[in-house]
Order: sequence, then structure tokens, then C-alpha cells
Amino acid sequence: MNTRFGKIMAGIQLLLVALGTPLLLGSQQGRSKMIQVKGSDTLVNLVQILSEEYMAKNPKTPIAVLGGGSGTGITALINGTTDICNTSRDWKQKEYDLAWEKGVKVRLFVIAVDGLSIIVNEKNPLGRLPMPAVGAIYRGEIKNWKTVGGPDKPISLYGRQSNSGTYSFLQEHVMGNKPYSTDMKEMNGNAQIIDGVLNDENAIGYVGVGYVVDQATGKPMKGLKVLNISKDAKSEAFSPLERGNIDSGKYPISRPLYQATNGKPRPDVAAFIAWETGPEGQKIVEREGFFPISPVHAAQNEKNLK
Amino acid sequence: MLTRTILRAAVIAVIAAMASNGLRAQTATPPPQTFSTTIYFDYNSNVSQDGAMTGTDAAKALNNKFAFRRAYFTYENKISDELKFRFRLDADNTGNLTSTSGSKDDKLRPFVKHIYLEWSQDWLQSKFNLGMIETLSFKLAEDRWGFRSVAKTLVDGYKDITGVDIRQSSADIGLSWKGTPARPLRFGLGVFNGEGYSHPELNKFKKFESYVQIIPVGGMNVFAYTDYEKQVTTDSSNRKAMTYKVDGYFDMVKNLNISAEWFIFDNDKNFDVVTNADGTKSESHFNASGWSVFGTYKIVPDKLGVFARYDSYQPKSTLSSKDMSLVILGFDWFAWGPSARIQPNVWITSYRDSAKKSDIVANLTFLMSF
Repeated sequence: MNTRFGKIMAGIQLLLVALGTPLLLGSQQGRSKMIQVKGSDTLVNLVQILSEEYMAKNPKTPIAVLGGGSGTGITALINGTTDICNTSRDWKQKEYDLAWEKGVKVRLFVIAVDGLSIIVNEKNPLGRLPMPAVGAIYRGEIKNWKTVGGPDKPISLYGRQSNSGTYSFLQEHVMGNKPYSTDMKEMNGNAQIIDGVLNDENAIGYVGVGYVVDQATGKPMKGLKVLNISKDAKSEAFSPLERGNIDSGKYPISRPLYQATNGKPRPDVAAFIAWETGPEGQKIVEREGFFPISPVHAAQNEKNLK
Repeated sequence: MLTRTILRAAVIAVIAAMASNGLRAQTATPPPQTFSTTIYFDYNSNVSQDGAMTGTDAAKALNNKFAFRRAYFTYENKISDELKFRFRLDADNTGNLTSTSGSKDDKLRPFVKHIYLEWSQDWLQSKFNLGMIETLSFKLAEDRWGFRSVAKTLVDGYKDITGVDIRQSSADIGLSWKGTPARPLRFGLGVFNGEGYSHPELNKFKKFESYVQIIPVGGMNVFAYTDYEKQVTTDSSNRKAMTYKVDGYFDMVKNLNISAEWFIFDNDKNFDVVTNADGTKSESHFNASGWSVFGTYKIVPDKLGVFARYDSYQPKSTLSSKDMSLVILGFDWFAWGPSARIQPNVWITSYRDSAKKSDIVANLTFLMSF
């Protein structure tokens, strides 16, 4: 019996030794309380800059920001592997349902507003497009620029992969929920779409407005043209580069950019979100080419922080 | 006859719909394709030396060893927003093949575990799977347990632990439909060969599986499952096998999951022939059942977790001396991030039969997924 007991104790001791390191690691991690942020590639650069500026002022609050797409961020929040998820689209019904199943209580915060920009190569003479034509182009129904008043050249489609919130947003709001053309080149991120359009005279692409503005000049990047978009063929077309067009709703494909938490955010997370959506954070949002949130969004954010 | 015709028509309709979608979805741009692999192996040591399993000469001779338990290689192709294809090879430690010369080959051998199409539709958030697909009985419990690398769940591992076949397999050839008619309600229906992934169909009877999952409150799940398969008999008797299963999952506290499973397997072919006092013979029917409670907690998400489980097995309802229980305790350490984890764990198996002493086995499980 003594021998057996001794062996059991030896086994337990072995386990404890094996566990010693992780337990130590766990306690250290517990002290540092890293805020994990995952999700939208449209938001990843903006939130990285916001977090760097926040950490400079609050060095005891480490923040790690990762991209991967809105869908990836939502999955991480539901699985409990991130504190904040970034999304550039509304949550889908099946995502809300999965969150419900796993006991995740979704709280949404609008941290910026984006005018989803339709871009072409600057050599393309076209200056505007009606929104239904954008949808028809991405569905593959219009294949030549001539059909929409451009040169007699085939249209090269650049877009995102299906885990991207921007991919879903365009599909839902511009394409009538129809499938993308199978000819579309599915790029990994906004930067890859811009590269594609810069190098292809026949290209069309879509990116968040923050990605097309040159921070030094405040104008679109050299080599790119941002198209004015109208609601339909008869309406006036507006540019996403002017804040007034976004605020007034004249630019037809603007969207809120969200962060989400599971229930009431813990104090350090709440402080970061409050800072992002407050005056300091919103100045950075504007500086990076996105648009600040409206008073309605601000009031809703404040309510969700409590 | 009518039921069979309707069933066949439904299967053909789903296949035709999937096929037409596939044709529409053919694409010039390479679609998102992924390759992934998951491997787990143990270093295990018998802490007890006199238990029912650990006390045998064979167990003593094999004490302290590394053992590969599973290696998966998965290829997935997202053909379109609606259509996905999966091909998974699995290799486990049961690959004992005998060559024509009679010598045994103990190498790990891969076999096909999954080969299916998944077709998603907005209608009822439906998902149709066709091919060698996941069965419906314990997938949700396995997801909640989350430590397949350490142990199979109650129903999945029942045969390994008790030696009694309750005819449950994680994959089988067939067609399934899963849907969400409303946020608090999910359902699943499936028709399978019933032989699992290890054998082709051996008879004309199909296995029908179904479940209902109710989520009355966010994070509180009740899952009820049943399956039915008519059994082959040598006489004209009408015999069937059925499984009834009820699970509960509690996820209302952040990073904590507590779950419970209960099931009973009732096969009309499971009986002992008893000789009565008057010399006549009758059948004494028995069934197999079990229940399990487990909890997992993420101490630091993606860094450190802990798990504990208690299983109770009643492999023969007419013979309680065969009852046994299993306790599993352990930690989940993300030693090199989420892709490489170390999971030290202990298994304690106890027996109702007082002649059998408990077995205690310590494992250091390594889990890698890339």
C-alpha cells in the first residue's frame, strides 16, 4: 500500500513540476492584463495607431492588435480569445445566434465612420458611377468600361476574401446580396487591392477611405482615382473624401466601423474604448482619413460602456 | 414504400441542388484553399501497478512510453460562399495490417476520415453535408469538451473504455441537414450507412439520426438526440437499435464551461438466453448506458486552462458488476502559442467489481496544430 501511495505521490509531483512553469506564466499574464484586439483589416491600422498613442499615455495597459478580417474577430470574441473584436460590417444573424449559444452578450461600439471608396487607376477617364452599376460590375454583369461611359476595355475586378467585413458590406449593400463575379481577384488586404489598381489601368477596387488618403497631402494617393458615387443613374454623385457628404448621407456607401465586447467591458478595456471614442481618439480617426462618429453613436457608446 | 420513395427523392434533390451550385461556382481565380494538420501524442506512465489494466504483465512490460495517438491532415476548399469541400486523412495507432506473408505491420496508416461537400443556405441557416461526414450524436459535446487530444467524449470513447460496442462513430457515409429556425432552436437530421468510417455498408438498413438543441437563455443549452437503425436478423423477428441522448451545456460564466451527457443504447439483439425453472428458455434483454460531467476553465485565454471530468459507465444493465467510472484531471498549457500545447493529465479508472483495483495513468499529452 505504501509503495502504491508513494508511486501516486511521485506521479502527482511529476505533474506539479510539469505544471510549475505554466502556472508561473499564468500568474504573470494575470498581472499584465494585455488587452487583445482582433478582427477587421479595414480597422487594423487605425486601431494599431490608436493603441500606440493610448499606450504612450497609459504604459501600464498593454494592447495587442491583430487583423484577419471581421469574421475572424467575431469568432475570436465568441470563443473567448479576444477582449475586443473589430468589424467593418454589421454582425450576421448566424453570428448573433452562435454568440447566444455560447453565452456571449454582444455590446457594440461605433469608433469611426468609413466612406467605402470605389477606386480606379488614375488613367481611367471615368469620374463617377451610379451605385447600381458598381453592383452590376462586381456581379460580373458589366464586363467592359464602355458600358458605363468609359474606354472600350475589359474591367479587372479587385476585391477582398470572404472573411473580410468589407467584402460582406459591399455584397449586402451594393450587390443586392448576389454572389461576386468569379473573375474577381480576391486579395488579402486593402493594401493589396491598392497595389493591384495602381498596376492595372483597367482595374476597379474597393477600400476603406482611410487607405486611399495620403496623410501628407490629405488627397488621394498618387496613381489612384476615387470615384464619385450616386444613388442611381439620375442622382448627383458625391465623393467619399468630403466629410459633409458622409455626415449628410449623400455619399451612398458609408458605414459605421465597430468594436464589440462580450458584455460590459472590464475597466481597462472600457477606458480604452472611451478614449478611442472621445475627443483625443476621434482626432486620430480623422487624421487617419476616416470620419468621426456622430452624437447619436457617441450616446449609444456611452450607454454600452455602463 | 412511400416513405422510402420520399427519402430517396429528397436525397436526390439535395444532391442535384448541390451539383447545380457547384457548376455555377466554378471560378477562374484560385478559390481559398487551406491545408492543416493536427497531431497529438503522449508520454504515459502507469502510476498504479496492480490495477485491472495496469496490473497485467503486458501493461507492466509496456509501462513508460511515447505513443502517437492521432495525426490528421485536412484539405479544405471554399469553392464559393455556399459550397465547401473537405478531405481529411486520419492516422491512428490501430493500423495493424497483416501482409500476405503473415507478418504484422505496426506503422501508423492513414485512412479517409472525411470527404464531403457542405452546402450552406440562408434558409433556416441550413447546412447540408454529403459524403463521408461528421455524425450528429456527439459533435457538440466534443466541441464543448475541447480536449479530444486528451480523451474522447463519453459516447465516442465508450467502446475503448468498456469494450462494449454502442455503434457510434464520429464519421459515416451519408447526408445530413442542420438548421436554425429561431435563435433558441437548432435541429439536425441525418441518414447514414450506420457502419462508421471503418467499413462499407454491410446491409440494406440505414441509420437515421436527429437532434434538437434548445437554448432558452444565452449560454444555456439543452441537446436531445436519438437514432434508429433496423437490425439484420437470421429469423423473421423485427429488431432495432436505438440511442437516446441528452446533454446540457452551461456557458454563462466567461471562460467557464460546465457540461453533462447522458445516454442509453438499446439494441433488441442484446440479450442473454435464460433457462427458466420449467426448462423453457427466454430472452433477458440488456442495454448499455452512461453519463458524464465535465468542466473546462480558461485561466488565461490562449495561455493556460484547466479541465476535469467524471464518467460513469453501465455497459450491461443486467450486470452491475461491470459498472465502472473514469476521472480525468489536467491542465492545458499553450507552451508555444495556440499551435503547440502541452496537456499534463491523469486518468483514474475505478470498478464496481471489488476484485478489480483502480488504474491510475499519468499522461503528458502534446498537441500540435498547424
